[in-house]
Amino acid sequence: MPLLEVKNLSVSFDTPRGELQAVRDVSFSLGEGEILAIAGESGCGKSVLCKAITRLLPDTARIKGGSVTIDGLTLSSLPERKVQKLRGKLFSMVFQDAMSALNPSLSIGAQIAGAVRVHSPRMKRAAVRARVLELLGLVGIGRAADMYALYPHNLSGGQRQRVVTAVALASGPRLLFADEPTTALDAGLQTQILDLLRDIRQSLGTSTVLISHDLGAVARAADRVAVMYAGKIVEIGTAEDIFYDPRHPYTWSLLLSLPSRAERGRQLRAIAGTPPTLIDPPAGDAFAPRNPWALEIDYEQAPPMFRVTDTHSAATWLLDPRAPKITPPFGGEGHA
Amino acid sequence: MRHTALLWAKKLLIFLAGLLVLSLAVFCVSHAAPGDALTAYYGERTEKMTPDERAAAEIRLGLDKPLPVQYARWLSGALRGEFGISFMYKTDVLSLLRSRLGNTLILGGAGFALILVLAPLLGILCARFEGRWPDRFICRLGAVSGCIPEFWLSLLLIALFSVTLRLLPGSGAYCAGKSGELADRLEHLVLPLTVVVLSHLWYYAYLVRSRLLDEVRKDYVLLAKSTGLKPRSILFRHCLRNIMPSYLSLMAISVPHILGGTYIVEAVFSYPGLGALSYESARYKDYNLLMLLCLLSGAAVMLCSALAQAISRRLDPRMKGDFSLDGEVQNDG
Repeated sequence: MPLLEVKNLSVSFDTPRGELQAVRDVSFSLGEGEILAIAGESGCGKSVLCKAITRLLPDTARIKGGSVTIDGLTLSSLPERKVQKLRGKLFSMVFQDAMSALNPSLSIGAQIAGAVRVHSPRMKRAAVRARVLELLGLVGIGRAADMYALYPHNLSGGQRQRVVTAVALASGPRLLFADEPTTALDAGLQTQILDLLRDIRQSLGTSTVLISHDLGAVARAADRVAVMYAGKIVEIGTAEDIFYDPRHPYTWSLLLSLPSRAERGRQLRAIAGTPPTLIDPPAGDAFAPRNPWALEIDYEQAPPMFRVTDTHSAATWLLDPRAPKITPPFGGEGHA
Repeated sequence: MRHTALLWAKKLLIFLAGLLVLSLAVFCVSHAAPGDALTAYYGERTEKMTPDERAAAEIRLGLDKPLPVQYARWLSGALRGEFGISFMYKTDVLSLLRSRLGNTLILGGAGFALILVLAPLLGILCARFEGRWPDRFICRLGAVSGCIPEFWLSLLLIALFSVTLRLLPGSGAYCAGKSGELADRLEHLVLPLTVVVLSHLWYYAYLVRSRLLDEVRKDYVLLAKSTGLKPRSILFRHCLRNIMPSYLSLMAISVPHILGGTYIVEAVFSYPGLGALSYESARYKDYNLLMLLCLLSGAAVMLCSALAQAISRRLDPRMKGDFSLDGEVQNDG
């Protein structure tokens, strides 16, 4: 049984201009000790999806349907008080901006200690301190005892992100959600933090949902990748599936626009157009207007998930047996 | 340390210079204001005085000299600790001040202490129930009562509690001959204290509320929440802690403001404090008294803002010297 199972999850925001459908009918699962990356442009709903699973959405958001099951517990039907008891212990979260994710007026030691005590309120002082030092070591902060009394503003960006990770790991969660943990960092630090997530998986077996807009960064850390567009998962598969045999035109476009694929002296490739507004999203495939390979049916009917292999599926009509054969920019096998 | 001593000396010098400038300003303004200073001393009689009598009176009170000379005389007296006599009360202003200061400190101090404690409580209550009925009720009540002028609220309370219901005394600080009795004092304190607290409480409660609401929207609250911490614990352990330095330093700056708020209340309730005294001295041109009261208020303002600075320096770790990673303290001077 997978550790995390999300089925048909839909989340909407009530705005003055109407209902904004941020997450639309998303399903996926995550196995024990697996790292799943959810990638997509800003505003595609990946962060909302993450907060909907952990039930940290703001009051303006509404979970419209679907279910979330973690370790056999149906989270979506539990009252908030029960969910709160699970947070930190069963699952936890790392945030994008480590500067604002830490309390500026508490020392980092005190903040990690606070997180340790949430689920072990009777732990002795010395034991808490030992645990904090252990956590600091775990997230790769050297000279932990010297760092204990420092404040967030005394640390560098990378160190702060490590401290945030230590806070999230304080009660030994089995599932970690990392919401763009590397976005605020420069390239060198990004790889360090992504390696850290892999190391943590290695030493603690923590399953991780890694959210990122950077498909290139994701490649480094993830076992499996889900590509999101306009509130839906359009393609999901192992990292090899996504990077070497992508099937969805949106995934193609994303991969083509990676700076590492750019040719010297030529402009970077961008995806033409803008993402659709999610208030009254268009019928059919939301990516169709920006899709050079769009078919007529893409404008009328949303494509279902087509299975490519056991691990790989994509939501595009190109995978329908009746679809015309095209030459994809990626992958060698053509289409089934 | 030599450096700190120098810093303190500089602060003291600025403080004294501030007082000097203040005294000069008050002196000029009060002498430029229309009115007859002799009335304060001689009362109704002044109007019937012959020019000779007037001149003699002015010489007696030292009002005949040119203004710069008068100021110099006041200043040299003040430096020796002699602030002259009150024209109205015909006693030494210092002893007059001493007899009234206690009453104002009781009223203002009790008011300040109540506001200091009640404002965060109300603010926390509102923030905890943001948008729900306790929050809406407190906000509306605050908006209404905050708009009522102090003097009108005072009159309203006097009319209700001392005239109609005859429950509480409506004027003075104690009944004649009972100045030592605590119960009697407290009874007289209830109404003026209510006005002082009600007229300021909302402002500070709103402030705590809005600062707290800013704070609960910050990312660290989400991180704390995702570790499983209860919303109440987050509010008290994280949010409240973060707004306390700015709240306390604001309250320190507000000491003179709240003490000053007692002035109108004292006037309406005929409460024998500094407020009533200041009002009279300004109205009747009781120069010596006015100067001393203004200097006292000015000193209070300056000392309190220094206190505020000290508080936020002490409580906010970001205001302390900057620690580099090697643990060296870099002083920001």
